[in-house]
Amino acid sequence: MGELVLERITKYYGQFKALDNVSLRINRGEIFTLLGPSGCGKSTTLRVIAGLELPEEGKVYLDGEDITLKKPYERSTAMMFQNYALWPHMTVFDNVAYGLKMKGYGREEIRKRVKWALELVGLSGLENRFPLQLSGGQQQRVALARAIVVEPKVLLLDEPLSNLDAKLRVRVREEIVTLQRKLGITMVYVTHDQEEAMSISDRIAIMDKGRVVQVGTPKEIYHKPTNFFVATFMGRSNVLRGVVKSVSDGLYRVALGKASLYGMAPGERPGIGEDVVVVIRHEAVRRALSGEETNVLEGTAERVSFIGLALQVKVRVEEGVSIIGYLRGDEEVEVGAPIRVAVSPEDVKIYPFSALED
Amino acid sequence: MLQLRRVTYTFDVPLALLLLLTLSLFSLFLVLPLSFLILRPLTGLSLEPFLDMLRYPYLSVPPIGEWYVISERGEYKLLRLLGMNFGVVLNTIFIASAVTVLSTVIGILVATVMARYDFPGKTLLRIASIMPLLYTPFVGAFVLYKIFGDGGLIGSLMLSLGLPVAVEFAGIAGVIVAQTIMFWPIVYLNTMASMLQIDPTLEEQAENMGSRGLSLYRTITLPLSLPGIAAGAGLVFIFSMEDLAAPLAFKVRDVMSVRIVENILASGNIEELGTEVVIVAGLLLLMALGWFFAVRHYVSLKQYAMLSRGGRWKPRVFKPGLLVSGLIYFVVFPLVLFSALPQIGVFLYAFSESWRGTLPEGFTFDHFVAVLSDDNVVRGLRNSVIYSLAALVVIVVIGSTSSYLVSRLNLRGISALDALVMSPLAIPGLSIAMGLLVLYGVLFKDTPLDPYVNPAFLLVIGYAIRKSPFTTRAVFAGLQQVHKALEEAAMNLGASRTRTLFTIVLPLIGLNLIAGSLISFVYSMSEVSTSITVGSLNREQAPLTYYIYDYLTSGYGGGAFIHLASAIVALMIIVQLAAIVLSNYVLKYRYAFLGI
Ligand SMILES: Nc1ncnc2c1ncn2[C@@H]1O[C@H](COP(=O)(O)OP(=O)(O)O)[C@@H](O)[C@H]1O
Ligand SMILES: [Mg+2]
Repeated sequence: MGELVLERITKYYGQFKALDNVSLRINRGEIFTLLGPSGCGKSTTLRVIAGLELPEEGKVYLDGEDITLKKPYERSTAMMFQNYALWPHMTVFDNVAYGLKMKGYGREEIRKRVKWALELVGLSGLENRFPLQLSGGQQQRVALARAIVVEPKVLLLDEPLSNLDAKLRVRVREEIVTLQRKLGITMVYVTHDQEEAMSISDRIAIMDKGRVVQVGTPKEIYHKPTNFFVATFMGRSNVLRGVVKSVSDGLYRVALGKASLYGMAPGERPGIGEDVVVVIRHEAVRRALSGEETNVLEGTAERVSFIGLALQVKVRVEEGVSIIGYLRGDEEVEVGAPIRVAVSPEDVKIYPFSALED
Repeated sequence: MLQLRRVTYTFDVPLALLLLLTLSLFSLFLVLPLSFLILRPLTGLSLEPFLDMLRYPYLSVPPIGEWYVISERGEYKLLRLLGMNFGVVLNTIFIASAVTVLSTVIGILVATVMARYDFPGKTLLRIASIMPLLYTPFVGAFVLYKIFGDGGLIGSLMLSLGLPVAVEFAGIAGVIVAQTIMFWPIVYLNTMASMLQIDPTLEEQAENMGSRGLSLYRTITLPLSLPGIAAGAGLVFIFSMEDLAAPLAFKVRDVMSVRIVENILASGNIEELGTEVVIVAGLLLLMALGWFFAVRHYVSLKQYAMLSRGGRWKPRVFKPGLLVSGLIYFVVFPLVLFSALPQIGVFLYAFSESWRGTLPEGFTFDHFVAVLSDDNVVRGLRNSVIYSLAALVVIVVIGSTSSYLVSRLNLRGISALDALVMSPLAIPGLSIAMGLLVLYGVLFKDTPLDPYVNPAFLLVIGYAIRKSPFTTRAVFAGLQQVHKALEEAAMNLGASRTRTLFTIVLPLIGLNLIAGSLISFVYSMSEVSTSITVGSLNREQAPLTYYIYDYLTSGYGGGAFIHLASAIVALMIIVQLAAIVLSNYVLKYRYAFLGI
């Protein structure tokens, strides 16, 4: 139970296209994350799944059943809202019990289940408090308990950690994963934080301007971003302009001014002579070994900053071409001194130049 | 097709029913009567009543009378300001325009002082400036007549100060003075609310670019306050047109409101109602609507309903310089204190044995005793309470339903519904009363619902329609604080719309509903337009305000009866005060609702 399919969903707010032909297949029991910058349509996607928004086009299937036109209260999807949406006039117990009452459970059964859910989220003993008497973290747990207690087929979490402080965030996200594994429930998780997405997800869908631009495991997304947006959205990267000089066996030689690098094109394949953008993650750039010749850039250290374990160095290769990389924290570099850096060809990602214009 | 799918998806059955209910109530009791009011004279197949509009008393050009008269009174001169008679229609427009201009000037002046300056006595000023909003049906205007009218206190005061002239106001001039005093606080409160909402950085930015003092005020502050000013001026014009009290007190018959009321009072059945007054009531409606659409450019009805809570930021407040201090203590203070005179006067009349000369004489509770043992008054009070409670049931339904629809339904055309349910605030009560009377008088002639037989039904309807906007707005304000996600969370967990409404929405807006109902109830109790027109048709069923009017105007009017009427109104003021304080406490509004 809990296999969710979105088929070519398009959703407008007035004239504004918030979702553009979104198709997703979310497997039973997996943690599926929608990741993207603010305003890209993540919440809207969740709301379409929950039936809180009606899409103009497309269909939503849950376990093979078309639920597109079902009302929110006729679907087995429980949502945890970004601002928690706890009812201020009800106690913790009543908040959590609400969904069970709607399902018509008996009093004793309700008590048992609420107790179970509150224990699961570690809130036993707070049944009679009102939401306003709770800390942010506790409110977050009540919202979670309220959603899981009804045993939905799909649990929808909209940026569940965004209102917590940084320390709590890491702890709670691990708890959520543990809980999900224990219950085996299908979970759609929304966040704009890529680290959060990487650490908890079975699979991730990257969204941009209402479209799904890539779906894959965290590793696939990180190492093989199929388009420029994904490549630059994940991690910190150098973005350079270049021209394709030659191609052989999927290995491209790209000129960056006078220098040139070998790299790969994980998405659309550019032709020879075409303008391209080159994306290289900061952490993929390292000091070249003595004697290393391929994919080496020579320049001068323009800026050096110590950031704990590593030295971050900005290397000026030539007029208009600079590249940022990391050296070991104990290495010595003088500003203005010559330096050689290297990057392996699989870390040099090449995309058509038109990607920049989007 | 898509639109249809959207509508059927958004509209569950409960929502559709709510919408249907609201629309049918407003169609039956507002839109249809008003349309009938406009259309019925056209079906008479006679031009005669329309031609009447161009003759005396409806039109009188050239005008009759004098603007002012100066007479020698031995040691001093008496300047008597009168105003000329242009006929019923033009008089009404002239008075309303003059009152609007004067009220706007005074209102802006006081609002500026209150919003931008900090000075000793400010709290006193603030309280005094809200006093005039306590509604004093009829009696307030008679107090003003005592002060400004023939042989009034102002003249005596001038003479006792040793001035060689005494001024008194009569006729149209008196009406203008009285209405200005009664209505300027409406402009003041709306303007003030706007000014407090101006982001201080906007003014600071302008200052930063070298604008200061009057030029800053003219180029930044005033334009940004325009919505409030327009809202206030918009209401004042309409209130002035439909006001009865001041014309009655200053003995002006040639205005639209008085003509309408006199005609209805004199009619024994629907045929005796002159077509020309139906036309007058229709014209009143059209003029109000025309004016309303003219100012709507600046303001939405939301600001008409009640004043906002003021700024979220700390507004800019200054210490006044010498010039402004002079303005505050020699112009603003007297103006504001003067405007609280009707309310003070009501209590003076209510507790004094007589008030013939300059000052009231003797202290007594007799008037209260007399009033409370008068069968008419007691019956009127009982009627008023029953009608107001019955109206309240309708108001609660209309108020919660329409505000829910407006705040939650994301459909095109929903703002039209908003305008419809708030419109009774901007529609003259006399036009509503006349519309109801004509439509239901014709439809239900000689049945138990005939207003000439049983006016009670229309009174309840009139109160409900006219006073519902207060509840609607209070509930709307509550709904805006209830995040939509709270409802979505409930539906998401399996609650239907109806269950969500009863378990989540109602408990959360309950206080707003109660506070709004309280205000609506109190204003129903003091409603005038429907009460003295429709309410007069069967004295057994007449409400309290009718008897106040009756005391002041009919055979037994004048003399001691103003004391009795004042006693009733004094009691009403106390109830209003309690209701306003209570609902402000509950809703945490910074200002009172506007009474109409
Ligand atoms: N009710 C609404 N009406 C109009 N526009 C909306 C509404 N809700 C969201 N949007 C717009 O749709 C886009 C996507 O919103 P959302 O799904 O909330 O983004 P995200 O959750 O990814 O930040 C945004 O540009 C937002 O401004
Ligand atoms: Mg969002």
